[in-house]
Amino acid sequence: MDIFLQQLVNGLTIGSMFALVALGYTMVYGVMKLINFAHGDLVAASAFVGLTVYTEIMGGTASLTAILVIFALTVVVIAAVGVILERVAYRPLRTAPRLSAVVSALGASLVIQNGIMLIWGPRMRVFPGDLIPAVTWNVGGVVISLIQLLILVLSCVLMVALYFFVDKTRIGAAIRASSIDQDAAKLMGINVNRIIMVIFIIGSSLGAIGGLFIGLYYRGITFNMGWQYGLYAFVAAILGGIGNIPGAMLGGLLLGLFNAFISGYVSSTWADAFTFIMLIGILVIRPTGILGERVAEKV
Amino acid sequence: MNKLSRFGYMAFFLVVLVLPALLDSRWLTVGTTFLIFSVVALSEDIVLGKAGMFNMGHALFFGLGAYTTAILNANFGWPILATLPLAVIIPMIFGVLIAGPIVHLRGDYLLVTTIGFNIVFVQAVQNDLLGITGGPNGIFSLDSMNVFGKALDSPTAIYYFAFVVLILTLWVMRNLETSKAGRALHYLREDHIAAESIGINTRVYKIFAFALGSGLAGLAGSVYAVQYAAVSPEAFNFMQSVLFFSIIIVGGSSIPGVLIGVLVMFVLPEVFREFATWRYFIFGFAMILAMILRPRGIWPAKFGRIPKYLTGGAENG
Repeated sequence: MDIFLQQLVNGLTIGSMFALVALGYTMVYGVMKLINFAHGDLVAASAFVGLTVYTEIMGGTASLTAILVIFALTVVVIAAVGVILERVAYRPLRTAPRLSAVVSALGASLVIQNGIMLIWGPRMRVFPGDLIPAVTWNVGGVVISLIQLLILVLSCVLMVALYFFVDKTRIGAAIRASSIDQDAAKLMGINVNRIIMVIFIIGSSLGAIGGLFIGLYYRGITFNMGWQYGLYAFVAAILGGIGNIPGAMLGGLLLGLFNAFISGYVSSTWADAFTFIMLIGILVIRPTGILGERVAEKV
Repeated sequence: MNKLSRFGYMAFFLVVLVLPALLDSRWLTVGTTFLIFSVVALSEDIVLGKAGMFNMGHALFFGLGAYTTAILNANFGWPILATLPLAVIIPMIFGVLIAGPIVHLRGDYLLVTTIGFNIVFVQAVQNDLLGITGGPNGIFSLDSMNVFGKALDSPTAIYYFAFVVLILTLWVMRNLETSKAGRALHYLREDHIAAESIGINTRVYKIFAFALGSGLAGLAGSVYAVQYAAVSPEAFNFMQSVLFFSIIIVGGSSIPGVLIGVLVMFVLPEVFREFATWRYFIFGFAMILAMILRPRGIWPAKFGRIPKYLTGGAENG
């Protein structure tokens, strides 16, 4: 039972990181119908930017201000990169066949990944362990660290905030309208280009926070880790039904839990295989993901 | 085939024929791999380009062929030549079994399931499933291939063997394009509901495309195993599938397009090997630029004589 609860906590922690990153995939997909393969590399870049902000700007001393500055600066930098990415690699292909934009995204992913390598080098970098105090609590045999608590609480707050932003505000309504029908949204006076920019800012910011969490939680970061985490987050988005915001949250949490239990009870060397078998199984039964809508095909 | 394209093919065959005389051993290896990758890319084109199914796991079938040859040779002592039929049939069977339950999925969902199958395959091979795949190191020191008592063990001989396989593939592609099945796949890609309504069994043809594509990819995998006398899991991972996928989109879904795609996506990075660290950074920009300048690929497909007003705007690929 202890193992069960422990893996539950670990799974929820990993799952909320997946969910944060998955939101970036799903929001871009919702409006542009594009798989943004470069998103995972933005996440990786964010961990490196965060580390550099810590050592270069904050002088390598841990404090609450240091953490706040790291998060704020990294989010701004990565959001800016996300907006540039959309301008350079995706906007010129808005009317092109869908797969050309996918290959452009793959190219952008190579650029970011190798850009990280050129700036920070090919070797693994390590996040300092004392950035977040290494406090742990033992709740009835289950060990929870401060970092896990931070990740869980902050992800929860962000996701609820996003949900209300998309559901209740004017810009949120414009985002939903653009994802249903871009042309109709334009006719209603919505500036779709601006909406896409907003989406890239939000998606990249959430990805940046996810990347910092990955750095803080796993500590070791490499230039090519974007593909690994990005793929998992993308699977989470598909699992929940891509384009669907609550779906991405649900998909992320489910994937994190599934992964933690497989690693805990079966074997970590088979974790990827089992994860994808589960995904394929779910897609065979529900072809558009768990919360995805069944779209009637237009003739 | 018009005069110009006949001339083009003749020139291409001639260049490929005389090339081994001009290349040193490193470039001969690149040349052989170019021929093998062209076969894989053409087979991916059947699924992705011709039938319009977003398949991002094609390295799976390439790997299945390579591993079939390697396992039969290393563990069961089969001569390499005898493994070739099975290296086509086994990937084909897997192609049908994998495609069966998933071909009804829409574009991006199909894409992620094919990625999934690729990852499951690589992890199974890495974990030494059934104890015959050699784990993360793979299988090495395969026998060389004997044809009519002669050993094909020089790099040049393997190059020409790969060339023969490419010619065979080109012949299959040409016949496919002008056959009933090829037309069916074309209609299917353009509009699968319309295709169904004129009596094309879309499900059967989708599975057919997967079967044909995976069989050819398996054959190429077998040649790949012969070339290196070894197989290892990384050669067939998901990044390799991404490469084959990009080749089709960058090159365009036509025979010259696919060959140009392999040249640009595989040979060009080899040429710029000296720029080790900068190479893929610039290559990424080149991919973006290529797509912006030629969104339909460098050499897009032309099918029959469809009037412009019928194809204009009806883009769903």
